[in-house]
Amino acid sequence: MTEFLQYTLQGLAAGGFYALAALGLAVIFGVLGVVNFSHGACYMLGAMVAALLLQHFDLGFWPALVIVPVIMFFFGVLVERLLVQWLLRLDPLYNFLLTFGLTLLTVDVMKRQFGVSSLKYQVPAGLEGRFTIGSVDLSVYQLFAAAFAVVICLAVWMILTKTRVGMIVRAATEDAERSRALGINVARWVTPVFGFGIALAGLAGVLAAPYRAINADMGSNFIIILFAIVVIGGLGSILGAVVAGFLVGLVEAYGQGYYGQLSQVLIFVLMAAVVLIRPAGLFGREEVA
Amino acid sequence: MRHTRMISLAAMVASSGLVLTACGSAGGGPASGGDSKLSDDKVVLGLLNDQSGVYKDLSGPNSKVAIEMAIADYKAKYGDDAVAKNIEIVMADHQNKPDIANTKAQEMYDRDKADIILDVPTSSAALAVATQAKAKKKLHINVGAATTALTGKSCNKYTFHWAYDTYMLANGTGTVLVGEGGKNWSIVYPDYAFGQDMTKSFTAAVEKGGGTVQQSIATPFPNDNFATFITKAESSKPDVIGIMAAGGDLVNFVKQYNQAGLQGKTTLAVGLMFITDIHTLGVEQFAGTTFTDAWYWNMDAESKAWADKFKEKTNTRPSFAHAGNYSAALQYLEAIQEAGTDGSDDVVAKLEGKKVNDVFLRNGEIRAGDHRVLHDAYLVKVKDKANVKEEWDYEEIIKTIPAAEAFNPTVSADCKM
Amino acid sequence: MSAQLTDTVRVETAASAAPERRLNPFVRAALLVVALLVVLALPWYIYPPVAMDILAWGLFAISVDLLLGFTGLLSFGHAAFWGMSAYTTGYIATQVGVPFPVAILGGTLAAMLIAIPTGYLAVRRTGIYFAMVTLAFAQMLYFIANQASDITGGENGLQGIPKTFFGIELVETDSFYFYYAALPIILLGAFIAWRTVSSPFGRVLLAIRDNPARARALGYDVERYKIMVFVISAGIAGLAGGVFSVSHGFASLQELVWTTSGKVVLMTVLGGIGTLWGGPLGAAVVVLLEDQLASSGFNGIGIITGAIFIIIVLLFRKGIWGTAADFIERIRSGMASRGRGDA
Repeated sequence: MTEFLQYTLQGLAAGGFYALAALGLAVIFGVLGVVNFSHGACYMLGAMVAALLLQHFDLGFWPALVIVPVIMFFFGVLVERLLVQWLLRLDPLYNFLLTFGLTLLTVDVMKRQFGVSSLKYQVPAGLEGRFTIGSVDLSVYQLFAAAFAVVICLAVWMILTKTRVGMIVRAATEDAERSRALGINVARWVTPVFGFGIALAGLAGVLAAPYRAINADMGSNFIIILFAIVVIGGLGSILGAVVAGFLVGLVEAYGQGYYGQLSQVLIFVLMAAVVLIRPAGLFGREEVA
Repeated sequence: MRHTRMISLAAMVASSGLVLTACGSAGGGPASGGDSKLSDDKVVLGLLNDQSGVYKDLSGPNSKVAIEMAIADYKAKYGDDAVAKNIEIVMADHQNKPDIANTKAQEMYDRDKADIILDVPTSSAALAVATQAKAKKKLHINVGAATTALTGKSCNKYTFHWAYDTYMLANGTGTVLVGEGGKNWSIVYPDYAFGQDMTKSFTAAVEKGGGTVQQSIATPFPNDNFATFITKAESSKPDVIGIMAAGGDLVNFVKQYNQAGLQGKTTLAVGLMFITDIHTLGVEQFAGTTFTDAWYWNMDAESKAWADKFKEKTNTRPSFAHAGNYSAALQYLEAIQEAGTDGSDDVVAKLEGKKVNDVFLRNGEIRAGDHRVLHDAYLVKVKDKANVKEEWDYEEIIKTIPAAEAFNPTVSADCKM
Repeated sequence: MSAQLTDTVRVETAASAAPERRLNPFVRAALLVVALLVVLALPWYIYPPVAMDILAWGLFAISVDLLLGFTGLLSFGHAAFWGMSAYTTGYIATQVGVPFPVAILGGTLAAMLIAIPTGYLAVRRTGIYFAMVTLAFAQMLYFIANQASDITGGENGLQGIPKTFFGIELVETDSFYFYYAALPIILLGAFIAWRTVSSPFGRVLLAIRDNPARARALGYDVERYKIMVFVISAGIAGLAGGVFSVSHGFASLQELVWTTSGKVVLMTVLGGIGTLWGGPLGAAVVVLLEDQLASSGFNGIGIITGAIFIIIVLLFRKGIWGTAADFIERIRSGMASRGRGDA
């Protein structure tokens, strides 16, 4: 039982990263109809930029938590203005391919510039050590990262439901045609939303930095799992992305705990089951076929 | 029916191609080389390794510098008496992709007239190149890859395994740590061939020394989240936790291990670690970790002197792979000198069974049975940050493992030369 | 859900149901002859193993085009079939010792076999979902292959695949002659792809691509057609993967990794979607480029391929073949109208 509790907590902690990054993917898809293949690369950039801030400007984890998302926001704006916007009216496959190309480019540029070995990063002071209740224990940092991810997800949810901007974005996500018909200028929000989604990926990267190997390849496996998450949750659904993010974190942890090396295969089995039973995903709506 | 027709068509096309090449190749006979005993009047050393991926820092472009140093030393030693006067290096990046390594190796042997290919990290790529060496009857001295298949199932007359292998890594660390009282082990390994091999060798070494492996925990590969695995490994209260992951996954593990508050509490033995890993991640993350190294730049005056020369040219300290490439190139040229020719069979005959001592190989011997190069290996501990005196000064040698014990003492039954 | 996510895929493909877009039969016959001559002459001018790579990747790209250009489905997990066949071919060749074309046939069957469940699941979704689901399945196969090192050799790869060929030693040892021995298999794959698209079956596929609702209303079982073409495409990818592994003498995890799926999509898009001809052209460009770059000392092939991808998608969505065909078409129609003006 304590084992189960332990794995559950670890799964929720891991799920936080996934939920945060998947949220960005879902928001971008909702408003722009773009499946951003470079999301994994942006996660990597977030972590790399955090490490470089530390190395060159002596800016640690706390400042990075604010600075990196801002930098990544502008990176996203740049990408949208320079590249993505030209293909928005075409089939979404083109932007999928474009962002795939961008991924190859970004990863190799980072490799050339900063090498391939992992960069240094430390757990911020005050978050070291472990946290123990009874026989369950977790690293303090892991708990912090999970809590932080939940707070951000909630904050984004609040913005989407309580503010006017959020209403517009949500309306566009749910039904772009109708919101256009209602006279809402969706186009105005396209660029900032793309930047915002990228910023979330970057934020997930910063959170991962003290905990995972920081190198140019760190996003390449991550993006595949993100895809599985949004397929499970339903691509158009923001709630689906978050819930599926935590769900996959849990599956991974139970898999690791009880089936060892099969944990990653389990994620894909879950995905296959969802596609079979509810093709639109757990929270997605059925396509009009 | 269609199938047989297809085959006869193939045979037809093939035979017509045969006639055509027979005509085509008539023009270019072998170049008459005067009184030189060298093929094409020169010796061509091929360097095939990873210049852009995970092993870039370990060997990569700087291995070319190491090989140039070997050529310079050879020329300085023999001067006008040198059999190989005209020595060239050709280099290619295999990006750790075996298909590219395979094609490039063929090109090097056929088109660039390479007499030998050096380095080749990444086991699938190394085995592909070994197969080409056998087919083309040209040499391959492997420095960068760890797989024992090079001296096992895939061994052949023209392939040598110079620096290290999974047996050496596991055996050294396992045996020595058990001897020092680390009786109870938990092993965490990524579930792919390297991890499985390492775990087998480690377990054998630990048990030979009278220790027990309480649990071996398989993890997926690649994997970034080791939290549950660390919890499990810790649960049996072991003296030593052995981690068989390499590269980025090793870094993931160590970061999460340290965060679980285990650094310094339980001994961490790493299966495969390079000095470049310590350098980039920071010595504090790895402090206290134990592993087996094939060579260390600051282990004695001779190595230090060579490392200083290397630093002048590259502005960095050499890894064991750089020293290994230097040694392999140097001993190859020495063998040409002895044989008086660069003919593969003659050079192999000179290398087989040879006892060698150079900056990299200490008490070295090129075992004739499987072309495993035996030499001293070193069990090292990563220094605490306070004891690091200069950049790259990270390792403290706990024990020198003599050549006879460092490697598998028996030739694998799978190896048929 | 946003409007872009409808069933209809609007990629700029050259494949069209309308007959007037087709080249006239003489031009097509001439093109075919030229293509055959180029293919026959290739290993004289290009290093034979590289020439073989071009053909294998070219056929692989054709298999992707069959889905993308003619059915509107982007498979981002085709490495699964190429790799499955590479391993199975290698396994049969090393264990049973049959001539390599037989082993490749076995590999192809295995690829088609795993394509049935994958296709069944994947065609439940279209558009971008299809790409993501296929990608995830390919990755799953990669994990399994990596773990099953008893069969696959793990990261060592399945080494030492022989080019057994009826005791004809030249084929078995010399890559130049092997090229000609393997060529018929590549041509067979290309022929099957061509037959598929130019048959009534192919016309149904185009109809499904252009308007699935209408095709369904006409009584076609859309899902079944999609699964069938998916399996055929997997088979063609399997033929290519088998040739590739025999040519290199090993099968490795590189064959299954998702960047391999990405690379073949790049080739297809670069050559021109919906052309069938384009795939091999794209393959030739990418393979030759990689070969050159590997020896050039330039580390960072992804910078070049990534940039090509971005430029093609932004500016030349019709790819090399499509752009060239348009250009010729424009010149021809320009000449024709001028001719009329003169008269």
